[in-house]
Amino acid sequence: MKDLFNRFFGGRNAGRSKDEAKQRLKFLLIHDQVDLTPAQLETMKNEILEVIGRYVEIDAASTEFKLEKAEDCIALVSSVPVRRVVERPASAPPTSGTPVPA
Amino acid sequence: MSECIVITSGKGGVGKTTTTANLGVALAQQGKSVAVVDADIGLRNLDVILGLENRIVYDLVHVIEGECRLKQALIKDKRLENLCLLPAAQTRDKNAVTPEQMRDLIAKLKETHDYVLVDCPAGIEQGFKNAIAGADRAIIVTTPEVSAIRDADRIIGMVEAAELPEPQLIINRFRAKMVQAGDMMNKDDILEILAIPLLGVVPDHEDIIVSANRGLPVAFDEESLVGEAYRRIGRTLAGEADVPMLDLTVQDSFWTTVKRWMGLSPAREVAR
Repeated sequence: MKDLFNRFFGGRNAGRSKDEAKQRLKFLLIHDQVDLTPAQLETMKNEILEVIGRYVEIDAASTEFKLEKAEDCIALVSSVPVRRVVERPASAPPTSGTPVPA
Repeated sequence: MSECIVITSGKGGVGKTTTTANLGVALAQQGKSVAVVDADIGLRNLDVILGLENRIVYDLVHVIEGECRLKQALIKDKRLENLCLLPAAQTRDKNAVTPEQMRDLIAKLKETHDYVLVDCPAGIEQGFKNAIAGADRAIIVTTPEVSAIRDADRIIGMVEAAELPEPQLIINRFRAKMVQAGDMMNKDDILEILAIPLLGVVPDHEDIIVSANRGLPVAFDEESLVGEAYRRIGRTLAGEADVPMLDLTVQDSFWTTVKRWMGLSPAREVAR
């Protein structure tokens, strides 16, 4: 009904497309500036997750990585839900990765 | 003290040339002596927008190559005696001029004019570098579109890298009706992204096309709202403080009011 009315009054596609424009523009400008390909960003994300995963068990499916523009810089904002701390002997190095020489 | 201002945008077709012509007229109307320079070598158009295309004898490249004196190449606008044009060469390309030569040329023009306005070509290559070479500051022209604003952002970075002071922004082709419907980014959306001071907003209007057809910049038209927008920007440029911005809000039509009342139309955006 509402659709029909909108069509009748000519407002079918109208309204709020500027929000989309603004969103796309912000994304564009950040990525223009960072100059990393989507593949490089994906690799970076996976490497970061791998490092975090050595210490805590994470929920990889619901992690979020975003580039955001703050005042005068670009920030990498991430949300990584932690399930639990990875069990390991108190003084031993992390289970995976290269142990750091003393 | 005279000043050289470059009008640039990055993206083509956003209205740099129209802006340059109209600001030239608006400043000259304030009693300032103004030279407008077409730096788009090979694709000149400022002459056409100003309606001076039939009076070109010498151009910018002739002056730089010493084939004529600067004064011989300047075309005086008969409608406004303190406005003149230095046209670009049409049969040469951007590489016919170097930034150093442009700097010297602009310095000479500043000796005899209050304002030198340079119409910059689109792009970020040699033509852009030549156009900003002699400038004291820059005006960025954009339209409320993703592509134009993206390029404007890039150009702002390049202007700053060239060690010019923070540029000012003109938002061109503003459509208040679309802004009110939420289908065009408003002034604040654009300023939030580009983060430079706003010089003015110019509405989109058929007057611009008619004035280009006639070679009579719209700033000459006392009745035109677009002309008024340019005249106000001209006053601000000439140093007048707190020139009020145009009210561009559109009154709702009967049907829009009915639709909004029925919840079928989006809430109103502030257009100004």
